[in-house]
Parts: sequence; structure tokens; C-alpha cells
Amino acid sequence: MARRVVITGCGVISAGGNDLDSLWDSLISGKSLIGTVTNFACPEMESLQGAEATLPAAELGDPDIDSFVGRCGLLALAAARRALANAGLDVGHVALADAGVVVGTTMAEERQVGQLSERWAAQGPDAIDGGFLARADNHGLAASIAARFGMGGPVLLNATACSSGNAAIAWGYDSIADGAAEVMLTGGADTFTRSLFCGFARMSALSKTICKPFDERRDGVSFGEGAGMLVLEELEHARARGATVLAEVVGYGLSNDAHHVTAPEPNGAGFVRAIEQALASSGTSADRVDYICAHGTGTQYNDQGEVRAVKTVFGERAVRIPISSIKATIGHTNGAAASLAAIACVLALARQMVPPTANLSQPDPEFGMDFIMHRGRPVELSTCLNMSAGFGGANACLLLARAP
Amino acid sequence: MSSVAPVAVTGIGVVTPLGDSPASLMDALSAGRSSVRTLASPAPVAGSPLTDFDATRYANVRGMRIYNRATRLGISATRLALQDAGLDNAGFPAERLGVVMAGTYAHLDTLVEYDRSLVTQGPSRTNPALMPLAIPSAPGAVIALSFGAKACSVTLADGGAGGIDALGLGARLVRSGRVGACVVVSALAFFDELVLSAARAGALTTTDHFHVFDRRSRGTAFGEAGAALVLESVTAARSRGAKSKGALLAQTSTFCRTDDGLPEALGRAADKALAASDTDGATLRLCSSGANGTRAVDEAEARALLRVLGSTAGQTAVTAIKANLGDTLDTAGLLQTMVAMAALSGSPAPAVVGLSEAMVPGLGYLTAATQVGPGRALVTATSRTGACSALVVCGDTEP
Repeated sequence: MARRVVITGCGVISAGGNDLDSLWDSLISGKSLIGTVTNFACPEMESLQGAEATLPAAELGDPDIDSFVGRCGLLALAAARRALANAGLDVGHVALADAGVVVGTTMAEERQVGQLSERWAAQGPDAIDGGFLARADNHGLAASIAARFGMGGPVLLNATACSSGNAAIAWGYDSIADGAAEVMLTGGADTFTRSLFCGFARMSALSKTICKPFDERRDGVSFGEGAGMLVLEELEHARARGATVLAEVVGYGLSNDAHHVTAPEPNGAGFVRAIEQALASSGTSADRVDYICAHGTGTQYNDQGEVRAVKTVFGERAVRIPISSIKATIGHTNGAAASLAAIACVLALARQMVPPTANLSQPDPEFGMDFIMHRGRPVELSTCLNMSAGFGGANACLLLARAP
Repeated sequence: MSSVAPVAVTGIGVVTPLGDSPASLMDALSAGRSSVRTLASPAPVAGSPLTDFDATRYANVRGMRIYNRATRLGISATRLALQDAGLDNAGFPAERLGVVMAGTYAHLDTLVEYDRSLVTQGPSRTNPALMPLAIPSAPGAVIALSFGAKACSVTLADGGAGGIDALGLGARLVRSGRVGACVVVSALAFFDELVLSAARAGALTTTDHFHVFDRRSRGTAFGEAGAALVLESVTAARSRGAKSKGALLAQTSTFCRTDDGLPEALGRAADKALAASDTDGATLRLCSSGANGTRAVDEAEARALLRVLGSTAGQTAVTAIKANLGDTLDTAGLLQTMVAMAALSGSPAPAVVGLSEAMVPGLGYLTAATQVGPGRALVTATSRTGACSALVVCGDTEP
């Protein structure tokens, strides 16, 4: 008998709010939270536009926390704390002793490198201190969570660029499905960094206006920062402890474009394989997917490839499946993006409503899809597809179903 | 009967200072050679540098010139592993080939270079091609791109435990059928920030004071290397007539927040891996340890093995190749696994070179290269952050 994997807790830190109700209200409002960034400066660029998260002062510097934790780690810790609380798993709970953590990230604690660069400009090699390597060790993101909450199972740091959040959930799903763990805390985190802003601007991938996924006027991404963490649990384990089941993870699919270091495969062939693997591995018919939470970055090529992939897999039904991207609301949060989108799916399944794509008012005429625009739409939902892709061509798709 | 299906290792590629083939590396290790010496720069500490490395000797892929040294090491090791597996020519479907990279610091020098150029030259003067290569997933993605691997491209950054974790993940992807063949690859290359930061933290010692498992040791030494293993299901390997070098039987990861708790956590990982593979004292022939000369690491490894092995502790051979090659971090787990499978397949298991005063007595530390015979081996590793990983493997005679 296959072990079923359910979600019993979610925690978010985002521009849309630091609790599930606030995030949901932000998402269905159809408003964009992208604006001028105030908590991060990048002297190399005149003005930064993004969707910034606000951490409560009490969570900015916890003396119990490893001193090597930077802002990305603090975001992940804060989301982890909320996810565990949502799942009713307080520190010291017996279920945490063998529980594991998988955190996905694109840039992780890159700001540590940024700070070194600034010291280097003045000091040269003397700027390299004995703590740099530890601060730049991305595994600290996951380890600090495990240490903070007393978790003794597998603790992994997954880096598959902007599909990291879904991949992290996938590894957690596998750990539970094959019996290696009963509880896994999974998700992703990322924050603003200089190289992201400057690099995307240099590649003409950063929006000069504001992120508008699937719009014919789309001109690139707008970054966000945040973290999304989910508590995955074996179904009977969750029931035995009386946990509230929020949704079920029914399967996932992976693929790699092997096409270009940055550009996605134009026809979405990699995405097609990831979606098909997710459907096949879970025994889910394509007919049962009734909402697609798209990667939807707002770049010309990502949105185009993604829509083409959906049309390939779902055929003529594709144009009738509600589809949206949350990135115009809370920004592209990179390694956190897919896990925050997964949480949006969990909320959508629970509330039987799907969020719109903010800033979308003139859909690209090539696409012809059922884009959710302007405000949330009530929809009868049983299964959601959460799509994600990353630099280098790494695709990860997740299938989530209503709580059993 | 094992509770998990064995996964065959059908190809191995290594690029190390002691050899660039499994056979030449095993010969050097069995002869007790060490490549650890005093580094000329950036600090006079012990290290195992790879001199005269030229990636174009191994592979000719687009963009090689701009890739950093770790990526080039990974590409080279992958090419060798695919050749060894007989998968280097067209024929194997690209959609079934996956890459799992263990690379905590493999991207870091590119990120440092890119970010520093933003500060010192300004964004308009930086090389735009560097940014996508500066993210943690980039080395693995480039390796997958170089060999057209379309099943997946995944990077784990779990520090010293990362190599074994990556083997565990690769095996899981093979078992589930999500990939037909999975290249698990890792590489560590020196760059100034890596060596200087570790040296200034007091983690790196001098050649005189580098001894693994030895009470005289005062720290570790980094080593440069690339390694790759090709994993396939036993059935798939047999059906295409591939010769198996050995098999991965079970892998487990655990965590502990403190040095004091590391022996228990590593022991717990080892217990679970041994149990999942139905391995007991009678079949366990070798422990291929991740001990690296650091007191906390060596003590954790030794005390974990003492407890796990129990009454057979003194009779089970223990080797630790970081004494020969330095600590190659994520890459070490792959090299330790390769050595364990070779030893179970007929090569002598290497001695722990330089060991004379065991910090934790009672284990069967090898003092000379020794034939251990067929059976099982336990491969162990820990990371600085508290991750522990254990893997049980067999040689080419089983399954």
C-alpha cells in the first residue's frame, strides 16, 4: 500500500503578508505589491523595484539562532516557525525528532559575498575573514532550521534555481512516500541580492516597468523576497495525531531543458515532460487538473514556452483550465517562488477559489488561455498543477489535491 | 533481503592528484601515496592541489573557457564516467539521463568574481555571461547541458555529507524510474576565498600536523578533485550488457546540532543504512570513513563506528582516504564510495596513511593495504553544519 503524503502546515513570509490569511487576501485582491525597495540598497543601480517582505523586529536577530544566519536564513526560519505552528508541531514535539528539512534556494546567503566584495574594495585579501566560508555555506539555511526546532532527520539544501521550492517539496514527498521519514519540513527562501538585480538588468530580463505575466506588454521579471515552508506528513501519521490535513501532494515531475544556460526551451518541451511525469507518477488523468499555478515570470520566453507546454499536454482543454501567476502580486521570489505558489494552491484548494494574475489586462493574443485577471474567481477545485522552472533549464511540477 | 532495491554503479570517473582513473587512483592509494603538501599560495597550509589540470584533455564542450575550475573538473569526471559506463555515444535517450550534483562551493568563486566586478567596475562593464554561472545550481546545470541530460538537473549543497546525500538522491531517482541513468557528480577546486577563510578560521593545518584519526592532528587539509558515478537499475544495466562496478544498497541522512551529538547522529544514520540493506557484522568488510583530521569530525566518525560495529569493531577494516587526498568536501563521499566498491571487488583497501596514535582506539584502522574480500562496506560522512550521511555498498560480485 503506497504511503500518502499530505500537507498539515504552511508558513509564509512575503510581501503579501506573514500569515496565510493575509497572503490569500493579497493574492485574490489582484493588486500588485511591487514597489520601490527600501530595505535593500544596490548602489550600482539607481532605483530598485521589488516586492519586499517585512520581518517582525523580534525575528530579525534571535540570540538563539546561529550567528552565521543572514537575511535569507531569517526568512526561512520565520516561515518554518509558522509552518510548524500551523501544523501543531511545537518545539520538542516527538514527531520532530526524526523529521527532516529540505530548503530550496536560488541565491541563498549571497549577500555574504556582496559584503565581502565591499570590504575587498578597501582591504583586498585581508577582507577574507575566518567566518566567510561558514556564512557562505548554503546548507546553513536548512541546518539552522533543523537546529532551531530540534529536528534529527535528513537535512538537505536543494539548489535547482527557481524551481528549487518544488524540488524541495519533491524530495520531502519521496522521503515520506518511501518510508524514510514521517514528517518533512520543505520549501524555499530567497532575498534580494546585487547580482540578481544587476545580472537580470544586464540580460534585459528585469522589467523596466512592472512584471506583467502573460500580457502582450510584458517586459521581464520583478523580484520579490520571501519564504514558503510546508509541513509534509504521512497521512496516517497526521490522522493519528489529530492534525488538520490541508491538502495532499499526489505527485511531481522533473525535467531539464539542456537547451541553454538561461533561455528556456522555446516550445516548452522540458515542461511537457515534467508535467507528464507528474501526471503519470501519480496516476492522475490530465482531465482532473482544474487549476494551473503557472511559473509565469513575465519574460517573453518563459511565458511563451509555458503556455505552449500546457497546450501540448492538455490539448484542446488547455484553453479552458483556469491559469494564473502570483509573481505580479508578490514578485518573483526565486527559490521561494514555487513553494509560495504551492501554498497558494493549498489555499485555493481549501477555499475553492483561484487567485488572479495581477497587472495582466491585455493577454498576449498568441496564448488564448483562461487567464484569471483582476480578482479571484470561485472554481470547483480538486487538483492543482504547480509549475516551476529555473536557470539552466531545471523544471519541476507538483500536483496537489484537495485534502482526503 | 534488503528493503530497498540495489542500484548499480556502471561508470566511474575520477580526476585527482593521485590518478585520473579508478585503477590508477586505487594503485596510488594502495601504495600509501599522499598528495597532501604545503600550498604555495594563498596560504602556507596543507592541501592537495591538482596540478597541470587541463579539462580539454577529457572533454571538448562549448563554453569550457568561461566555466570555473570546479565546473571543468565536474565536466571531466562526468565524461570519464559516461565513457566507463559505455554511455558516451549517441544511443541512450537524453530524456532518460539525469544529473545530480553535490556542490556546496562549486559556484562560489564565480559568484565572488562576478559580484566583485559589479563593485569595482560597475554593472555595465561586467561580463553578463558570468551571472547565470554564479548561482549555486550553475555547475550542475552546465554539466547537464554539456552532456544533453534532459531527465533532471539537481544540485545539493550539504557540505561534507553532500556527496553521499547526492548518491542517495540519485539512487532514489533511478529506483522510482524517473531517470534511466543518473550521473552523480561533484568537484572541489581551490580558490583564494576558500583556502584563506578556512585557514584564518584555524581549520587548516600544516603538513606536519595533518593526520587522520590521529591524536596528533591539528586540523584538516583541503583537496582538489572531481568525481562522478553513473547509476542505473540493476535490470537496466544488465539488459544493455553494462558491467557493474558495484551497487548502492541503502543510504540514510540524519542531523545533529552540536559536535557532542555528532557520533550519535552519524551512528543513527549508519544503523539505519545497515538495517535497510540487511547488512550485519558478518558481511560488513570495510568502513570507508569521512574522517578528515579535524578533532570533532574524527572523533564523531570513530565513536559512531565503535558503537555501530560493537563486538566486531576491532575486526572490521577502517580506511580514510582523506589522509591521502585531503578533504574534498562534497566530492569525498563519491571518492570514498568508489574506493569501497573497488576494495570489495578485489583491490586492496588502502591504509590510513600517517596514522600512528589513534585518537579513539578499538577500531580496525588499516595500517597497510589489505584485501578485505567480497561483502559490504559502510561509507560515512558529516558536514560542518551537522548533517550526517551513511551509505552501504557492495562490490561487483553482488547482487
